[in-house]
Amino acid sequence: MLRRAGFIAAKDLRLSVGGGQGLVQAMLLGLLLIFLFSLSRPTGELVSGQAAGAIFWLASAFGLVLVFNDLFSLEEGQGCRLGLLSSPVPEHAVWLGKGLAGFALLVISQAVFLPAAAVFLGQDIQGSWGVLILALIGVDWGLAALGALLGALAQGQGARESLFSVILFPLLLPVLLGGIRIFAGVFSGDAASDQGLWAGIIVAFDAVFTAAGAFLFPFLYTGEE
Amino acid sequence: MGARADSQNPPPVRADLRADIRADIRADIRRVGKFFGSRLVLREVSAQVHAGEALLVVGGNGAGKTTLLKIMAGLCRPTAGEIDLRVAPEDCAYLGHATFLYPRLSAAANLTFWARMYGQTPAREELEAVLSRVGLARVIDEPAGTFSRGMAQRLNLARVFLIKPQLVFLDEPGTGLDPASQELLRREIENLKKAGAGVVWVSHHLTADLPHAESVLFLKDAGAAYFGPASGFDGGDLTC
Amino acid sequence: MSNIRILSALTLIALIVGQWFIWAYAPLEETMGLVQKIFYIHMPLAWWALVSFFVVFAASIRHLMTRSAGSDILAGAAAEIGVLLSGLALVSGSIWGRAAWNVWWTWDPRLTTTLIMWFVYAGYLVLRGSSAGGGMGGERRAMVSAVLGVVAFLDVPLVFYSARIWRSVHPAVLASQGGGLEPEMWHTVLVNLAAFGLLWLTLLWARYSLGRAEERAQALLLHGSPDAQGGQAGQGGQA
Repeated sequence: MLRRAGFIAAKDLRLSVGGGQGLVQAMLLGLLLIFLFSLSRPTGELVSGQAAGAIFWLASAFGLVLVFNDLFSLEEGQGCRLGLLSSPVPEHAVWLGKGLAGFALLVISQAVFLPAAAVFLGQDIQGSWGVLILALIGVDWGLAALGALLGALAQGQGARESLFSVILFPLLLPVLLGGIRIFAGVFSGDAASDQGLWAGIIVAFDAVFTAAGAFLFPFLYTGEE
Repeated sequence: MGARADSQNPPPVRADLRADIRADIRADIRRVGKFFGSRLVLREVSAQVHAGEALLVVGGNGAGKTTLLKIMAGLCRPTAGEIDLRVAPEDCAYLGHATFLYPRLSAAANLTFWARMYGQTPAREELEAVLSRVGLARVIDEPAGTFSRGMAQRLNLARVFLIKPQLVFLDEPGTGLDPASQELLRREIENLKKAGAGVVWVSHHLTADLPHAESVLFLKDAGAAYFGPASGFDGGDLTC
Repeated sequence: MSNIRILSALTLIALIVGQWFIWAYAPLEETMGLVQKIFYIHMPLAWWALVSFFVVFAASIRHLMTRSAGSDILAGAAAEIGVLLSGLALVSGSIWGRAAWNVWWTWDPRLTTTLIMWFVYAGYLVLRGSSAGGGMGGERRAMVSAVLGVVAFLDVPLVFYSARIWRSVHPAVLASQGGGLEPEMWHTVLVNLAAFGLLWLTLLWARYSLGRAEERAQALLLHGSPDAQGGQAGQGGQA
């Protein structure tokens, strides 16, 4: 199953990176958001670390929606979803493959957002890079687990992307708050005293929605139109 | 599941619908029923598919043909009844009007991806062999998105060859094909049968496809109106 | 049929008794005065909203296991009532906040959780109402809703806990709201909790029966006329 999930992820990455719409759109939208929010900074004043963290994760969340919409739409055009379902591949492998691909694409787009936050929002990494990267991985994991589950909502003819974001965003709140708080500490240099608690929330979120995703995905990803 | 079916209390299935029980059964469906919400689309349908034979599934629009095929292929669940596939999931192939192709991947990459989903890793020569069998060897590295409908469906057929199936589900695969491609399709279905595969074939072209089938399942008003040898099927009151 | 009338009558009586407790029995709170009485309505609303969301969760799990239409209808009914009650709880909480802390909104963990849940379940209702599940009698829509019903409730403790930590960073506007309640106030809270519980049950029951009737009507509409569906519809008509 892991091998097949790997093949699905590799195929998705190849299609998304090589001329795909989703990744480029996600990057552009995120950049645009970061730039637009930088306009709210009065001339000569600094954006607080917390505001910068919030803007960064907001950009990531919007990117997430585009990335997963694109990943799941790959299967819709020529009925490939039915192909996957009629093959001996377990549905879990599809969820895992989509999650891995989405995680990779999210990290790639954040590699653009982070310098953009530094440039437009005047931020510096004053705290520890290790904390930043760990937090990034932890939060992205949670985002990808839930995105890969609910992205399957987009299948079928009636589904709309806007609905996906309306449903996804509030659910993501705990893990996004965690990301914002830890990033605020890393940007400003004085790590928040409750950093450990937030790490706990992020890990709990990842665990709950990884389990839920693995369990629930086969119910969502079906041959019924 | 059971409760739903009971509450609708369908009439008893016609006694003449069961064929003789034979040893080489590839798929056995027993009294399958399906509701979409509260709408009954299949009622008490039973049929068998044998190795090396084709079961032609015919009926008017909305008679439940595609639904039955999807249920057999495991794409959606029946509300009642049982599906007994006597082959491993790796040995089942589905060929519908959708081409199951990623337009931006080349023909070879498409075939490789699907073969991997079936647990195989085909060599380049093997890809070339199946592609030349459907007349696509020249375009092996072209993206599938540039193919015409006929070429795409041939590539889809090559995917089925690669799987070497023992049970094939066909959902009107000939839709939108030119006569030459349709002829190729019928010839290759015969070849799959010779290789021992059982074929379930949803068809709109009764007159053209009937000679290639051994048995017929005629669906009407969500139920089976005929199931038996193809030679004994009078065409029902099928008008399409 | 008559059961629900009896229940409605009981609910009405209980609500009147609850109001009597609020206005005549419970003493006037010293610092906040009359506004404090919002609490007796706000708290049951929030409480029963949470219970509704739990019912959505349980019914959704049941639907995933059994695929029964009844649990799907129950989940939908409970979600509607939950969104209604939590919406009212938010409005009453906001008025309370304005009176008590002089702000319309604060990062109180309970209030924040209620708001987020309102968002989540409002999205759930949009999903149920949309054609996202495709046509086909809504079987897929029911399945999709059930998955979301489970996911949404799993999020509740995480949202609550994160809202609590988040607040501890910003100084709280007011430490606690329900600290020193007098016994009479507690009685009033409990009576109103029970009264709103009856109201909740009535609404749920009514909405569930309505959903059931809708389903039957749809069934009759789709294969009701006997000549269209052969022998099957004759049975369906009686069901």
